Amino acid sequence: MNVSARKYVILAFFLLVGIIYTIRLFYMQIVDDSWSLRAQEIAEKRVLVTPPRGIVYDRSGKKIVTNRTYYNLMMIEDEIRDLDTNAFAELIHWTPQQVKDRFREIVKGEGTYHNPHTGKTTSNYQRIRAYPFVKELTTDEMSRIAPYLENFPGFFEEITSMRSYPYANAANILGYLSEANREEIKKDKFYRPGDYIGRAGIERYYESELRGVKGVHYIVTSALNNAIEAYEGGKYDTVAVQGPALKLGVDMDLQAYGERLMNQKRGCIVAIEPASGEILSLVSSPSFDPNLFVGRRNVAENYPKLLADPDKPLFPRPLASEYPPGSIFKLIQSLVALQEGVITVNTGFPCTKSMVGCHNHPTATDIKRAVQYSCNPYYYYTMRKIIHKGRKKNFYADAEAGLNVWADYMKSFGLGYKFDTDITGLRPGLIPNSKYYDGWYGHNTWAFSTIRSISIGQGEVKLTPLQMANVAAIIANRGWYYTPHFVKSIGGRGPLQTYREKQYTKVDQVHFDPVVEGMRRVVNEAGGTARRARINDIVVCGKTGTAENPHGADHSIFIAFAPIDQPKIAIAVFIENAGFGGTWAAPIASLMIEKYLKGEISDRYKEQRILEANLLHLKKKPKKKKP
Amino acid sequence: MSRRESASRNMDWALFAVLLMFLLMGTINVYSAAFDPDHPHFFDFTQKHGKQVLWVLFSCFLGFLVFLIDASIYRKFAIPIYLFCIVLLVTVLFMPSINGARAWLGWGSMGIQPAEFAKIGTAIALSGYLSRVNVQQQNIRTVLLANFLIIGPMVLILLQPDAGTFVVFTSFLFVMYREGITYDPIILKLVNIIPGVKFKSTWVGSHFIPILFVIIFLSLVTLLMSDNTITFSFLPGLTIAGFWGVILSLFILAIGSYFLLKWMTSKRDRRRVTLIVLIGFVLCSLITVSVNYAFQGLAKHQKDRIELFLGLREDPDGEDYNRNRAMAAVGSGGLTGKGYMNASVASMESNHVPESETDFIFCPYAEEWGFAGSFVLIGLFMFMLFRIVRIAERQKSRFNRVYAYCVAMIMFYHFAINIGMNIGFAPVIGIPLPFFSYGGSSMMSFSMMMFILLKLDSQRNDVLV
Repeated sequence: MNVSARKYVILAFFLLVGIIYTIRLFYMQIVDDSWSLRAQEIAEKRVLVTPPRGIVYDRSGKKIVTNRTYYNLMMIEDEIRDLDTNAFAELIHWTPQQVKDRFREIVKGEGTYHNPHTGKTTSNYQRIRAYPFVKELTTDEMSRIAPYLENFPGFFEEITSMRSYPYANAANILGYLSEANREEIKKDKFYRPGDYIGRAGIERYYESELRGVKGVHYIVTSALNNAIEAYEGGKYDTVAVQGPALKLGVDMDLQAYGERLMNQKRGCIVAIEPASGEILSLVSSPSFDPNLFVGRRNVAENYPKLLADPDKPLFPRPLASEYPPGSIFKLIQSLVALQEGVITVNTGFPCTKSMVGCHNHPTATDIKRAVQYSCNPYYYYTMRKIIHKGRKKNFYADAEAGLNVWADYMKSFGLGYKFDTDITGLRPGLIPNSKYYDGWYGHNTWAFSTIRSISIGQGEVKLTPLQMANVAAIIANRGWYYTPHFVKSIGGRGPLQTYREKQYTKVDQVHFDPVVEGMRRVVNEAGGTARRARINDIVVCGKTGTAENPHGADHSIFIAFAPIDQPKIAIAVFIENAGFGGTWAAPIASLMIEKYLKGEISDRYKEQRILEANLLHLKKKPKKKKP
Repeated sequence: MSRRESASRNMDWALFAVLLMFLLMGTINVYSAAFDPDHPHFFDFTQKHGKQVLWVLFSCFLGFLVFLIDASIYRKFAIPIYLFCIVLLVTVLFMPSINGARAWLGWGSMGIQPAEFAKIGTAIALSGYLSRVNVQQQNIRTVLLANFLIIGPMVLILLQPDAGTFVVFTSFLFVMYREGITYDPIILKLVNIIPGVKFKSTWVGSHFIPILFVIIFLSLVTLLMSDNTITFSFLPGLTIAGFWGVILSLFILAIGSYFLLKWMTSKRDRRRVTLIVLIGFVLCSLITVSVNYAFQGLAKHQKDRIELFLGLREDPDGEDYNRNRAMAAVGSGGLTGKGYMNASVASMESNHVPESETDFIFCPYAEEWGFAGSFVLIGLFMFMLFRIVRIAERQKSRFNRVYAYCVAMIMFYHFAINIGMNIGFAPVIGIPLPFFSYGGSSMMSFSMMMFILLKLDSQRNDVLV
């Protein structure tokens, strides 16, 4: 037996293992990528850096939404040593029980992880990680707490950025932020728990712009999850980019003035620049200070209060309340009738008061006077001519065809549907068409006499105040409009494309002049219904409206634009339960116009009267009993 | 000629160079693995890398002492040295338990692991014993006595318990195999019980140990791979089961060894070689397939138990935590690695791979130096092992030869198991990588082992046995 040859067996063993290991290492390190991915998973973490949100400016460049520094009081449980709960609670002005509850709440809030392999459920909460213990402390609060924090190891401050509203106005335009909910986080990977998301208004509509781009820092982490160093020296890191600045068409001074005028009143003001479609102001009253909704403590505290307020400050009245337009609707009827050729400028109708009531006024012998006097029977006859133009032989079919033609006209005035504009919470209003009445009364059972109240803007017709203001803008422009919108420019690039497209009505420009003349007389001539809207050196054109309200006193409506040539502002004022349009709505509109065009008010008495008026109680008037 | 001169003249400088290289590489690597930015100084002795420098220096001092002492004392005092190690192994069992094992002898943070030194003691004792046994006259008694020398310390080590070192002691079986002291007499006796059978020797008996280890190694690899699937980044969509990967590797090996042997052997032997390779491949494949199917057929809880035993599932959570992370660290190295001090997974600071400075020291090395570094490391170890075998074969003294083989096999075991652990080819049993892992006992033990070998080799002409 040759024993010494056995060294080859041993050498073969060495060689075999050496070769196998080399092959294996070649495979693991060069061929197979999965281990690199696994290594990344283990050791590299993405740290997201949330940029401050975009700043919002008004049309004159004033900052109206900006960011402010707040502090979170952070906690790392592992570093807490001998916590004196009572002393700590005293420091942060909580009760000791609240402090204990907060610990439990944090642990609970992190949720649990169920391992499908072992069936074990473990908490996601980690003792070594930092969690915000008290969120959103102001600089004042923090500077009070900070000096004592060294007595409480494991607690430290962290800076965070939050919204701030230098003007306590325009809450209904700007909206507010709150923490993204679970569904939003699921739907959009941008959000992480605790991130804020725009909840209403501009903040919501322009969320994807304002939020900016999150920065990503790749870091190498240890098994305990703490950062060790930047991965590859930060080669792959991206910088957080703040959202672009938004420039709104809103005139913040005008907005603030409008809110002052509407103090102690329920209703709204919408002002539009006719030439651009930019909304100059959108007052919803009663309103609230947008700063009430900064931070989740504030939201939690104030939201339920505002929600429970019987005057509904959270309800966006200019966008979502739908009212019968009343007499302002006559302007559009005049235009449609002229376009349809059922009347001429000089057509007159007697004020018979037989089918619809009216007030006493001289006979409307032409369309200008009809507008000036707001003669109900005049529009009853006019509307009948529009509906029953003899398009069909059958009487009912004729009414159906006529109504649909009319409804198309209404649509071209932006009525009956939601504007595709940069705010949420809009309502469409209501323009009935034949389908609507068929559903209500049955096919071929209704004719003009059935639906006659729409001729004077009552009955089924409903408009939102925004649509009313837009009607004023259309007339100011003599036949066209831009979709009313807020944002003048996104990061200096101008508004969205859809707001740069002119929308034309189906009424030719020539037909507008007599209506505008009528509107001029409404304000400026004897016998006009809105003499209170007169301004000495500005020609204001307007129309009053009084919307009947089955729930209480009539609503006071006024739409106007000024000046008569090259109008700069179109406005709609709506005061709930304030009665006749000329009494309250008209003077408010005139004050707004004067403020905007001249920057100051000439008639102090007029202003004083409005500021002092309290119209909130009006709702409590005994209800009008209707049969 | 003075002894000092003869020592330097007959010194194996190649092995000495590899040893110094390992010491240097090991220290540098421990510095990277255990780097703490708060203590950046290389010689900061409060840090592990600083202590490792101390251990290396102390080991070199021990080596210097070894070179001063005449090599013949190891032979003369083989039995006392062995008994001293046994006493230490017994003593350590009465020490307080640290991390669940009574492995440490010492005070406070300073301590030694007698098990590490027991390897040297046993190697010397085995060398002493085998050098006196005549292979031609071996019988069951000599085989059992040699085995007893090994089994004694093994039992004591298992009592600590220290599974890693326990396994390392089986390396001595290969030394016995090389010396012809195998289980041949026992197996012959067993075989000859069968009436009518009268063998003088059996192939299985004389090659019992390597056959056994091939089977164990193949079974282990198959088990470890059985739950894996192998995908190829250059062949997307191709996924093969783990054990097919093993068979594929075997096939490649068979082809390779066929051509190697064909080149090495004469024309006359070619048919025999072809037959051996073919039979070897078929048998190995059969083992792989049967182990795989046996394992797959097991019930879930049985499978879990085996996996747990093998260290496939180290923690009861079933996370396979250490091995997976160690492999991720190694696998993420790429061709040239992430660069020195740039290990993101395996650094001690990040602590993703526990014990990355001791048992998993190959991780930071492979992660930082990539396949290039791993290849160099394996190459160096291969060179060292081949060099030691060459040294062993040139000894006139049988004592020296056995001792050299002991050193080679111990080194090989540590190398194979430790790196195998890091690349998913061996169960996770904590044994250090020679000269690389942090730790005083292992550093001193491996260094002394090598210095004694170098000393013995340098005096190979003095000894006449």
